[in-house]
Amino acid sequence: MSLEAKVWALLNEALIVYRDSPRATGWLRNQLARFGEPVRIAVAGSQRIGKSTVVNALIGEEFTAGSGFTWYRDGVRARATAFTPSGPQEVPVVRREGRPHVEIGMWDQVDRLIVDWPTRSLRDATIIDTPPTATSDQVYREADAVLYLMRHLQDVDLRYLQAAHENPIARVSPINTVVLLAKADEIGAGRIDALSSTKQIARRYRREVRVEPLCQNVIAVAGLIAVAARTMKPEEFTALTALAALPRTELEDHLLSVDRFVGNDFPVALAPSVRQGLLERYGIFGVRLTATLIRQGFDTQVKLVTQLVQRSGLGELRDSIAQYFTDRREVLKARSALLALEVVLRAEPKPAARKIVMDLERIVSSAHDVRELRLLAALQGGRTRLPAALEPEASRLVGGLGTATQARLGLEYEADETEQRYLIADLLARWREQAANPVLDQDQRRAATVVVRSCEGMLSGLG
Amino acid sequence: MAVPWLDVLDETIGACTTLNRPDLAERLREKRARQLDPKLRVLVIGEAKQGKSQLVNALVNAPVCAVGDDITTTVPTFVQHAETPSAALVRSSAARRAITDTPTERVPVAIDQVAKEVSAGHSGEVVRAEVGIPRALLTSGLVLIDTPGVGDLRSAHTTSTFTALLQADAVLLVSDATNELTSTELELLKQVMTSCPNVTVVLTKTDICPQWRRVLEANQAQLARAGVSAKVFAVSSALRLRAAQTGDKSLNVESGFPDLLACVQRDIVAAADQLARRVVAVSAASAIQQLVAPLRQELTVQNTKRTEDTIGALHEAQRRVDELRRRSARWQTVLADEMADLVSDIEFDLRDRTRKILREVDKTFDDADPAKGWDEFERWLEDNLTEAGTKNFAWLLDRSEWVAEKVAKSFPVYREDLLPGSIFPEDVLERISTIERPNIEKFTISQKLFTGLRGSYGGVLMFGLVTSLAGMPLINVVSLGAGALFGGKSIKDEGDARLKRRQAAAKNAAQRHVDDFFIKFSKDCRDAARHVQVSLRNHFSTLAEELQETLLESARSARRAVQDDATKRERRTLEVRQELDKLVELYKKVQVLGGSQVALGITA
Ligand SMILES: Nc1nc2c(ncn2[C@@H]2O[C@H](COP(=O)(O)OP(=O)(O)OP(=O)(O)O)[C@@H](O)[C@H]2O)c(=O)[nH]1
Ligand SMILES: Nc1nc2c(ncn2[C@@H]2O[C@H](COP(=O)(O)OP(=O)(O)OP(=O)(O)O)[C@@H](O)[C@H]2O)c(=O)[nH]1
Ligand SMILES: [Mg+2]
Ligand SMILES: [Mg+2]
Repeated sequence: MSLEAKVWALLNEALIVYRDSPRATGWLRNQLARFGEPVRIAVAGSQRIGKSTVVNALIGEEFTAGSGFTWYRDGVRARATAFTPSGPQEVPVVRREGRPHVEIGMWDQVDRLIVDWPTRSLRDATIIDTPPTATSDQVYREADAVLYLMRHLQDVDLRYLQAAHENPIARVSPINTVVLLAKADEIGAGRIDALSSTKQIARRYRREVRVEPLCQNVIAVAGLIAVAARTMKPEEFTALTALAALPRTELEDHLLSVDRFVGNDFPVALAPSVRQGLLERYGIFGVRLTATLIRQGFDTQVKLVTQLVQRSGLGELRDSIAQYFTDRREVLKARSALLALEVVLRAEPKPAARKIVMDLERIVSSAHDVRELRLLAALQGGRTRLPAALEPEASRLVGGLGTATQARLGLEYEADETEQRYLIADLLARWREQAANPVLDQDQRRAATVVVRSCEGMLSGLG
Repeated sequence: MAVPWLDVLDETIGACTTLNRPDLAERLREKRARQLDPKLRVLVIGEAKQGKSQLVNALVNAPVCAVGDDITTTVPTFVQHAETPSAALVRSSAARRAITDTPTERVPVAIDQVAKEVSAGHSGEVVRAEVGIPRALLTSGLVLIDTPGVGDLRSAHTTSTFTALLQADAVLLVSDATNELTSTELELLKQVMTSCPNVTVVLTKTDICPQWRRVLEANQAQLARAGVSAKVFAVSSALRLRAAQTGDKSLNVESGFPDLLACVQRDIVAAADQLARRVVAVSAASAIQQLVAPLRQELTVQNTKRTEDTIGALHEAQRRVDELRRRSARWQTVLADEMADLVSDIEFDLRDRTRKILREVDKTFDDADPAKGWDEFERWLEDNLTEAGTKNFAWLLDRSEWVAEKVAKSFPVYREDLLPGSIFPEDVLERISTIERPNIEKFTISQKLFTGLRGSYGGVLMFGLVTSLAGMPLINVVSLGAGALFGGKSIKDEGDARLKRRQAAAKNAAQRHVDDFFIKFSKDCRDAARHVQVSLRNHFSTLAEELQETLLESARSARRAVQDDATKRERRTLEVRQELDKLVELYKKVQVLGGSQVALGITA
């Protein structure tokens, strides 16, 4: 039985045991309903770290951020519900100067805003923008997965992430957090190599002993540039192209500082307000980067946007979200449900729930999906290294390219069951050998054991 | 430029010599020597990555401090004036690492290599870097100290920054323009101001932050709200360094550095000169007062013709000498008693702190398995011991100051320079260093696995479970299986005996280490306290001797007055009057220096 099915059954069992408690049944029903929804991904971090900007980058729009929790989910039409002290209110969503705008107007105290916005970007995930005051606990309870934004690892960041993993269930399944080094352009001090420099730092944090057990990946992201790229206007592209046409040293001189860039004495006919606008949307680094890229031959808007999305780290972020979160919806939902069930068992302990307690423990301690996800992160983060010939295969078998059997086996055609069985048996034998290979170290053999278990899973899935 | 206070001081020393008071002259000469070698320590501090090191580089226009996008600075760099450029790394020799009196060695390095050497972090043993460089800015004795970022308020790096604070004359608090001052930065600022009130806030990276003017205003408003009077300067180190490379004067102006440098000159260098003047003025005034007293006595006696008055004055002088001796015994007792109390209180405090740490250790290893997260534990222990040590030491310094005040109160007479300028050893910074890590064998992965396998029945099943748990930080296996919530069984039972042994070993190792630390550190503290006591005793004894000398001189002149005949007496009266006039003139000059508010009690 899959993890999802086991947890689903356990929740239903709990519903029976707790049928006398309206509070518990209400809570559990909610969890069952949540099971069917897209993964909820919260974007969290300290004040002005760039949360709302990253949310916008993921959606591909420039929403003006609200003050409380703001949910963005796919819907058939643009609409929003504001949860005010006097109850939920439907509020209009309109476009103004090209930007979507939620008219919360007279409701000055909105605890939660739910925005329905039809877009492909939200099909598999609901994105939650969080207020800087939200605690680790609130955020992790609200969401199935979290993007945590920070600059350099500070005490507060560590405490935040540790608090999220204090619960024993959460601690053995640290699979729902990806850390972002936000405003990567600023970390690299706006130099033209800022983003690659920050990527280097992200790579270091991936293996840092305090961070590694608390997240699946660390990614450098320049949210500002990602948003600007995804919402680039033709007139902006024209202006940027005009800048790129200047001789290099002359342009450099006028890009030395933000003050110079918006100053009066400027060699191109671009009004100060236009330059000011570019600065607000792209930052000084964004202008430096786009000018360089256009000069390097990314000279159409489409080419430029594609480059910016990749360089800003948005591409890598989307990949990680797919690989660790949306492709693993079932595992994350099951995990959220187990955590929620634990709350009930703790809040209202009773003898009749004893079997559920034991089942819960068994599910948690034997969840192979969790181990798969941790191994995947370890392989991609470079913490676990396998011999070069084995590494891509291991990554694929544990679901790095998708969790369907076809994807795990790396088949480009529909193979019939017999053929699959044959293939898997072969893999199984080879990986069992690796799991006992004395040349490999403990860590590598442990990785091989996980791969073996994944193969066994596929085999039993064939029935 | 001739320093005016130096002239006044030299004149006063001259007067002391003429008027037969070599003791006073000597003391003033010591003051003179100290004021002539002023080290003005300016500490550059702030949270991580705010551009502290780059700021120091831009101030001296040379890449002497390591700069980088990732966490870079781990030890302080001292940048000061030198005729020829030079640099050195100061390392603590690894042999014996104590809290105080760490033996250090200076290893010279090429000046263009020092930044690289520091950031290469031959970690552990480098305590600080020292750079000498010829710069007009530094000739006044300014020492710029680049420090590691303050982020984690408990880390060893942070501790060294706070220790350095004790000696700082001024502080530049660095915060970049990408964000307004955060609450933790404000907190830091307030904490800094309690040890060193001369703080200037520097907003960096204006070249890349479109919003820097808004941030500047917001910061000023925040400081005003918090009641902090620090000035804020907005600069761009990047522009300044580029301006220096290209010789572009207008770019230098754009960088904002001219204003910052003017402020350093005015509020730090000039202010320090003011401080020197005040110290000199107070000492000189005190000396003059003591020179005046006997002369005045003599004059009074000569004016009275009657012998009994003269004899009365003689007796009075004698009585005051005796009184002084008697009361000297009292301040000495106060000093001895207070220092004894101090030593035992400090030791008690340290014991209390270490005991708390040990209790925490015991509690942790009652449940936790030391095989997991030992590294983290080591770091935790080290941080906590460092913190305990620093707090304890800071307390010692505080208390010493308080003792000095108490002794001063029991001193027979009041003088403005009664309290010593500094009771701390001059090199506090060098006296604190890192502590040895507990050294016990590491628990290896294979040991862990072995434990898991041995106790298992199913073998494979157990292997799976153990491997899935291995490598997690200090994971509390027990709470996973045995908590009230999960009534079921767990691997606890199987590994129990081994786990217990491991826990006991860990507790033991920690206990030994903490004991070691306690013994070393409390000895160091006792030594430090002894230094303080000796220096206080010397200080007050000198004062007492001076006072006695003044009184005796008064008695002597009274006696002279009785013996002299009329013409001699008249001539002498004239002499004394002239001396007094001179002293009054001198005293006026001293008061102009900003010194004594106490009137001399006579007019010329
Ligand atoms: N240079 C740069 N600026 C950024 C980036 N991301 C955000 N910013 C700027 O940082 C400021 C704060 O961004 P937000 O996205 O509103 O940050 P937030 O975390 O949502 O802020 P709060 O919700 O108020 O806590 C804005 O001025 C953004 O323009 C980035 O990647 N690079
Ligand atoms: N554009 C620009 N970048 C700066 C400025 N000051 C510092 N930087 C950059 O900011 C980053 C951090 O600078 P550092 O001087 O290393 O900062 P720090 O505060 O000393 O860092 P730690 O010692 O590691 O805490 C580096 O990439 C510098 O190049 C500035 O005024 N303008
Ligand atoms: Mg926001
Ligand atoms: Mg630095």
